[in-house]
Amino acid sequence: MISPDISARVAQASLSTGSRSHLLRSLRCSWRNTRVGAVGLLIVVLLAGCSGSTRGPIESQEVTTRVRAPASQDSAGVQVYSLQNPAVKQLTAQAEGAERTGDIDKATGYLERALRIQPQDPQLLQHMAELKLQKSDYQQALNFAVRSYDTGPRVGEICSRNWRTISVAREHLRDTRGADEAEARAKQCMNTRPKGF
Amino acid sequence: MISKAKTRVKKTRAKKGGTSRRNKQRKKTGKTKKSGLLRRLFRILMLLLGLGIGLGVPWVVWLDVQVRGEFDGRKWDLPSRVYARPLSLYEGKAISQNSLLAELKAAGYRRTSVTDTPGSFSVNGNRFDINRRAFVFDDGAKPAVRFQLQLGADSIQVLRGDPGVNDQGLVRLDPAEIASIYPLHDEDRTLIALQDVPELLVTGLQAVEDRQFKHHNGIVVRSIARALVANIRAGRTVQGGSTLTQQLVKNYFLSSNRTVVRKVNEAIMAVLLEWHYDKAEILEAYLNEIFMGQQGKHAIHGFGRASEFYFDRPLADLADEQIALLVGMVRGASLYNPRRNPQRALQRRNQVLDIFAGTGLMSSARVATAKSRPLGVVDKPRSGGSRYPAFVDMVRRQLKRDYRSSDLSSEGLRIFTTLAPAEQEYAQQAVAGGLDKLRQRGLPADLQAALVLADVASGEVRALVGDRVAGRNYFNRALDARRQIGSVIKPLVYLLALEHVDDYSLLTPVTDEPVSLRQPDGSVWSPANYDRKSHGEMPLLEALVHSYNQATVQVGLKVGVANLIRKIRQLGVNAKVPAVPATLLGAVELTPIEVAQMYQSLAAGGYSVPLRSVIAVQTPQGVLLTRYPLRLMPLEHREAVAVLNFAMTRVVARGTARELPGLLGEDVLIAGKTGTTNERRDSWFVGYTRERVAVTWVGRDDNKPAGVTGSNAAMRVWAELFRQLPVSNIDLRMPDGVNFVWVDVQKNALTDPSCTAAVQIPFIDGTEPSSTTACLDRLEKRNRRSLWRKWFEGDD
Repeated sequence: MISPDISARVAQASLSTGSRSHLLRSLRCSWRNTRVGAVGLLIVVLLAGCSGSTRGPIESQEVTTRVRAPASQDSAGVQVYSLQNPAVKQLTAQAEGAERTGDIDKATGYLERALRIQPQDPQLLQHMAELKLQKSDYQQALNFAVRSYDTGPRVGEICSRNWRTISVAREHLRDTRGADEAEARAKQCMNTRPKGF
Repeated sequence: MISKAKTRVKKTRAKKGGTSRRNKQRKKTGKTKKSGLLRRLFRILMLLLGLGIGLGVPWVVWLDVQVRGEFDGRKWDLPSRVYARPLSLYEGKAISQNSLLAELKAAGYRRTSVTDTPGSFSVNGNRFDINRRAFVFDDGAKPAVRFQLQLGADSIQVLRGDPGVNDQGLVRLDPAEIASIYPLHDEDRTLIALQDVPELLVTGLQAVEDRQFKHHNGIVVRSIARALVANIRAGRTVQGGSTLTQQLVKNYFLSSNRTVVRKVNEAIMAVLLEWHYDKAEILEAYLNEIFMGQQGKHAIHGFGRASEFYFDRPLADLADEQIALLVGMVRGASLYNPRRNPQRALQRRNQVLDIFAGTGLMSSARVATAKSRPLGVVDKPRSGGSRYPAFVDMVRRQLKRDYRSSDLSSEGLRIFTTLAPAEQEYAQQAVAGGLDKLRQRGLPADLQAALVLADVASGEVRALVGDRVAGRNYFNRALDARRQIGSVIKPLVYLLALEHVDDYSLLTPVTDEPVSLRQPDGSVWSPANYDRKSHGEMPLLEALVHSYNQATVQVGLKVGVANLIRKIRQLGVNAKVPAVPATLLGAVELTPIEVAQMYQSLAAGGYSVPLRSVIAVQTPQGVLLTRYPLRLMPLEHREAVAVLNFAMTRVVARGTARELPGLLGEDVLIAGKTGTTNERRDSWFVGYTRERVAVTWVGRDDNKPAGVTGSNAAMRVWAELFRQLPVSNIDLRMPDGVNFVWVDVQKNALTDPSCTAAVQIPFIDGTEPSSTTACLDRLEKRNRRSLWRKWFEGDD
């Protein structure tokens, strides 16, 4: 989320006409930028034109601010990495690349291929849940996150991401109480008490 | 006839007023009358002409639109290509050398010594050198790439691409093309281009059917007249007199009635076709269009497809006498059907060969050799132009179900499917070979079978077999054979019980004793056990493991038939299920694919996905029409599913499927359930490993007693298949809220691992036994004492 000089980006975006999502992304990147002033009016106009129709950027922001960032903050100390084979690693990297450019469909395709190789990999399932969240497919986001939790370590960062995704998804599905419960579960993920004793 | 002709002549004369008697009158009436008559005659003629133009021109225009629509619509009609799933290769991928070879063969790879061209590979011991072709996958184009891999005992040890290759750790083989289909039509064609058609067929066809083809304009008036005369003489249709063009038109608008109007229409349209298109186009269309037989509900059109259907080889590879037979069949594909009427077909073939000789197309010596040969027709036709017709059938159905027909009518679509060619080959061999072995063991020779093999997590169908004969598909049993499922339903009854955490765990005592129930039709139903005995009280686990009927009914009545039906629905099956107690023992008719759907949900730990055969559809330009994304549908009570899966591994370990590990030749942790129906009509087996779920059915098409049981037939076919596949232990990690606990099964009590009869069994939290074994009590007492000693006496 590094935001370069905004005027340059807007100029670039207006050059590549038709690449509206690109423009939106650059706007999103600059959303909280303090140097907005000069082109503020332009942004307001553009945002007004786009509001409602494209929700992608806000959703992906949600994944960052409400799932990934707090989970990684929580996880200091508790890290559980599943063993991944090189093919899955490569596909994950490709999915991340596609996600960075905003092509969620393409990222989904890579992850599906990875899931064919390791169908129960909690990292892949959680990643898929986050992609679904960005596509506003909240039910599937919920389902993939629950599956990830079921197959995963149920502790550490991934657990936290599981429950945070579940919380956000439930919130969008108007299950406020469920969302709060999930939020609480996310905090318990850092409790390292061994299970089953 | 003659008298009719006479009256017609009289009438004509009357009209024209040309008799001598009238001539006299005319002379009397004078010139004015004569000119009035002429004028009237002229008026009538003009009226007729006007009518002719007024009706005839629009009529011809309409016919023109019709016939050109058909011709243009079909001439360039490219079939859709159906691809198998691309095989992903990476280090650690479980695959045997045989499977890899089968996959390469299916994808059309040539085994060579130097692999410098794409589409070739070489093998040196366990090292493969593969040159992958460039291919447009469902997610984009990929260039050709050469890579090397080394196989271990059952997996890829090393994979190395050429330097500078992007896909370093992962290479997809371009997939096998498994069929070309017209998604919207129930017909199969293998289109051929004129330049690929054997010379003898092109010339021979003209020699036999239409010698004037090169010269006429669609119709030959003389032959029509000759045919007319011959037909009038015989009083019925004996001669066609149709040109190839007329026959083509007739094939476009196939209908059995042979009225004069239709004949006239055909003739007009034939002339129109010749006017618009050249001879080569018309001949090519003819060769691809002509009706050549029927296979079930599919019509066989064109010589390309007919060649596969009758001889199982491409048109270009046909021998002289085979070409002659096909040419001869044009006159009547069913009349000269070489499978049904071999004698008549042989006569016709030799007749055609004589014409070939007579017209100088073949030397008489060559004809003599050809005549001495048998018909050369294969017994079992390959259907759908595909080696995997049952699977392609499923693809067609899913396309029709899930895609708009406007999308499917596009030409030359590229359809990406889930089929694994090697697994499909193994599945076909398992069915054919398995049934042969069953016959050797004394079971009937006319048994049939079906098999569904799917990926557990994704629900992707990897193989589908609908007939014991590979490649035959007049009845796709995997999708359409609706048969009682017997004990295969029992796990669902126990699943329902396990969902009631207040009442049931795997150790809850249930009773196996005679039970009598009044059915809705008034009859009394008293199911017996397979061994005709009742076994009294036992833990629920044992009742499932040994598939006891009476105990299952007792449990089932408590959980409720209505709930069982609801459960079947939740598992993704929408078939009609009767709401009667007999349903508890599987008196419900389902198809193998439906059974596979139910068990996919269980095998995936309660994450249901619809079984699918299509992944994506792409236009010829590589634009993705639709993708079927992976969607998860979690069931409720997944804890109960996990516990049930454990119980089903016990069925294989020591229950009704205990022979399975022996048949597989390895001791693996897999789940399974046998099913047998009344009077041994149906044999079912459903089993799953961590990666694959498979359902097999064996029985007779006429539903007569077949002497089969779940374990003596279907399970053996299942084992035949899985002997060839990598078998992985199922995942017994329990979800949140379920834990393995040491218990004594018979005493339904908690125990210690060191006590006798101690086993680990999963329990949903709160359902563990409340009592403890004496052994555990003793140990705990001792523990307490030693703890006491530790604290207060100290260690030395």
